[in-house]
Amino acid sequence: MLAWGSLTKTDVIGAIVVIALLSVVPFVGSRYIVGIMTVALCYAIWASSWDFMSGLTGRENFGHSLFIGTGAYTAGFLNVSFGLSPWWGFPAAAIIAVLFSLIIGIPTLRLRGPYFALAMLSGAVVMQKLSIIFSETTGGQDGLNGLSPMLRSQVSAYYFTLVALVVTVIVLKFIALSPWGTILRAIRGDEATCQAAGINVNFYKISALMISAAFAGFGGALYANYQLQVGPDLFDVALSINIIIMVYVGGMGSIYGAVGGALLLIGLTEGLRSFSEYRLWVYTLILILILFFIPNGVIAPAWVRVREWIIGRSAAFTRRASA
Amino acid sequence: MLDIIIYGAVISAVYALLAVGFTLIFGVARILNLAHGAFYALGAYCVYTLTANLHVPLVIAAVIAVLLVALFGIAMERVLVRPLRRLPPLAVLMMTLAVGLMVEQILLLIFGSEARNVPSLVESSFNFGGVLLSGQRLLAFFCSVAILGGLWLFMQHTRLGAAILAVSQDPEGARYMGIPSDRIFSIVMGLSAAIAAAAGVLVAPFQSVIPGMGLLPLVKAFAIVIVGGLGSIPGSIVGALLLGYTETIVAFKASIEWSQIVSVAAVLIVLIIRPAGFFGKRAAF
Amino acid sequence: MSALLHVEGLTKRFGGLTAVKNVSFALEPGEITGILGPNGAGKTTLFNLLTGFMRPDRGTIGFDGVPLIGVAPHRIVNRGLARTFQLTRPFIGMTVVENVVVGCLAPRVRAEGHTEARARDMLDRVGLGAKANVMVDALSYGDLRRLEIARELVTRPKLLLLDEPFAGLGTSEIEPLAALIRELHKSEGLTILIIEHRLREFMQLVRRVIAMDFGEIIATGSPAEIVRHPRVIEAYIGRGGDDLEARLGVAPENARGIA
Repeated sequence: MLAWGSLTKTDVIGAIVVIALLSVVPFVGSRYIVGIMTVALCYAIWASSWDFMSGLTGRENFGHSLFIGTGAYTAGFLNVSFGLSPWWGFPAAAIIAVLFSLIIGIPTLRLRGPYFALAMLSGAVVMQKLSIIFSETTGGQDGLNGLSPMLRSQVSAYYFTLVALVVTVIVLKFIALSPWGTILRAIRGDEATCQAAGINVNFYKISALMISAAFAGFGGALYANYQLQVGPDLFDVALSINIIIMVYVGGMGSIYGAVGGALLLIGLTEGLRSFSEYRLWVYTLILILILFFIPNGVIAPAWVRVREWIIGRSAAFTRRASA
Repeated sequence: MLDIIIYGAVISAVYALLAVGFTLIFGVARILNLAHGAFYALGAYCVYTLTANLHVPLVIAAVIAVLLVALFGIAMERVLVRPLRRLPPLAVLMMTLAVGLMVEQILLLIFGSEARNVPSLVESSFNFGGVLLSGQRLLAFFCSVAILGGLWLFMQHTRLGAAILAVSQDPEGARYMGIPSDRIFSIVMGLSAAIAAAAGVLVAPFQSVIPGMGLLPLVKAFAIVIVGGLGSIPGSIVGALLLGYTETIVAFKASIEWSQIVSVAAVLIVLIIRPAGFFGKRAAF
Repeated sequence: MSALLHVEGLTKRFGGLTAVKNVSFALEPGEITGILGPNGAGKTTLFNLLTGFMRPDRGTIGFDGVPLIGVAPHRIVNRGLARTFQLTRPFIGMTVVENVVVGCLAPRVRAEGHTEARARDMLDRVGLGAKANVMVDALSYGDLRRLEIARELVTRPKLLLLDEPFAGLGTSEIEPLAALIRELHKSEGLTILIIEHRLREFMQLVRRVIAMDFGEIIATGSPAEIVRHPRVIEAYIGRGGDDLEARLGVAPENARGIA
């Protein structure tokens, strides 16, 4: 294990506390709250998978909804049109999303400039339009309805989503802390220097996008199986942008920050439900404020502070105890 | 056949207007301006407010609208974009996106979501060999061509135009030559906003004026600029012709729905096959 | 023994400008060689061609007996040809060790394992051991040069190309860095090729200088010979009319004395 940037005991305890808090939600919250939280956990999976690619390598992806939508539709087709068990939807969704990531990533990630971002954005828009044009197979605006439920109770669906999120974050964080992650962050620093250090940057960028797409597609299938419905809004540009804002709020490149950002913003959205027409306003305003005043985001830097404080306190405590 | 040629020409001219400003600010300041569609929508709404609420004559309203949006563009560059230039380029991109969303929200709050009507300057229609074209579309075509021509003269024959070209070709070198690139960025943002607003003003009478009207033009501008090559003005004009006509043909031969997909599909195909666009990177008039 | 690097007829054009014109030279193993030339002489383009960042229009490059044309930059590093950049661009947002670890992760040396230990060893050797855990953003320019050299050295190059390593450094930083380069050359038996636009830094460092102007090699020889070479003098004095001393960074008489 590498000595720097690796997890401290405090990090692990912090993660356990958060997981524990999320686990008690079904005991204290209403059905409505549990529903919202399930959606929030899906957003957290999407945001952390976005962060893995774009936060670490700095190559911004403006069409993450492409992976989410293709994943969700894959799960929907397998279930509704082919009658397969919902469980098949997960691996299939991940594989199809990875396929799309290769189609767009291989030609455009090699280039400097905004080409990759734009290709992702247009890829998502094309898929959205296609899903409306081929309405006989895709259900058009209404999408695919009547997926057979994968789990019987709403609470078990919540816990399944929570486990999926925890696994996602652990896997992505594990890679981010490994030499792979070091290389991805180096790519963010400077690609030419990275090449001069003997690193095949294209291989790492494309692999990172594949991993990101796999988790996003998986998350899309999860969302489809929870909502029992898939619609063209899953390809929406607005969805991609919301995810980016979540990661900005959370703090780029930390993975766990993205989770916090997603939960925070979904919570805020719910809190502002009575002002729903101002919701986009609030998101936009938050984005501008963050860009201007706290470009490093909120959640991840806040946790770093808290961790320092805890470590400082416990060190002081040990000193006093031994004295 | 004739209808395709005529309608395609009108659409292409307006698209060229949209794309030229978009590519200009990218070429000069490397800003991919996601608020470009907002300039277009603001232009249309300014004309609407000036004529419907303040009863300003249409021609004067059009000029005022273009100037106001130009000022807005300059203000945006000064206040919101410039302080972020030392951050990674994603920050600037996100800021322009935020401005675009913000403008749309403000228009929605003030004017509501229903479509507004802007009167036409020319009411009569013209008949070209059996194809009926409204006077406003004809006006839009001629004004667009005139504005593009004016821009060409400005770039070729004024010192400011030469300075803009110099910055777009070599920002570092231009700074050594004593061209203040910050000022140029502001001016170009204003110019780009004015041209987009002019497009909005010209199409307002035959387009539905709604708060979200800027999104599609933004996508079109994207598409054209990608097809023509980011930063290339002649490329964006050729791209506009290519896309305008392809869309018109698809709309006439297939359906309006398919025509909407043309631009984004073009972006995707060009990016995957030949990402530098079909007209290189450097050329600019 | 045959040449480590063999360049033959290398040419690169940008539009109407020929940045590198028919350049041929060879480097023997263990040699330390300088490339001298005023700004715009094509030195950095030559490096970009040698390291695969640009593709030449004509000519051949043989390294260790294998042709290098059309090989990707990272593959070239993994064959043992490393380079630094004129403008050092470290991996911002990472610590100094992490910056060097990236070099340890190159396929050529990755199997050796112990990436962090190797990175720290190398930092000790270039004199940055104490700053290993500092964020790279806080380093001085001179330290960034050392860091860059460390990051390349961990890939165990046979040939190291240094692109103006002394540019932007104060006089107090130049001599220690030159000493480090000499030391590395001696202890590792490393073959080194250095670009400079002033001769002063070369005087005690290199045996042989290749002088370039307008993309062509105009002279080859010892620093003392180069300083007196009429075409070099013309290349430096012919432009702008400054005195030779300032432009070359050394007075000819002085140079003779040192050499």
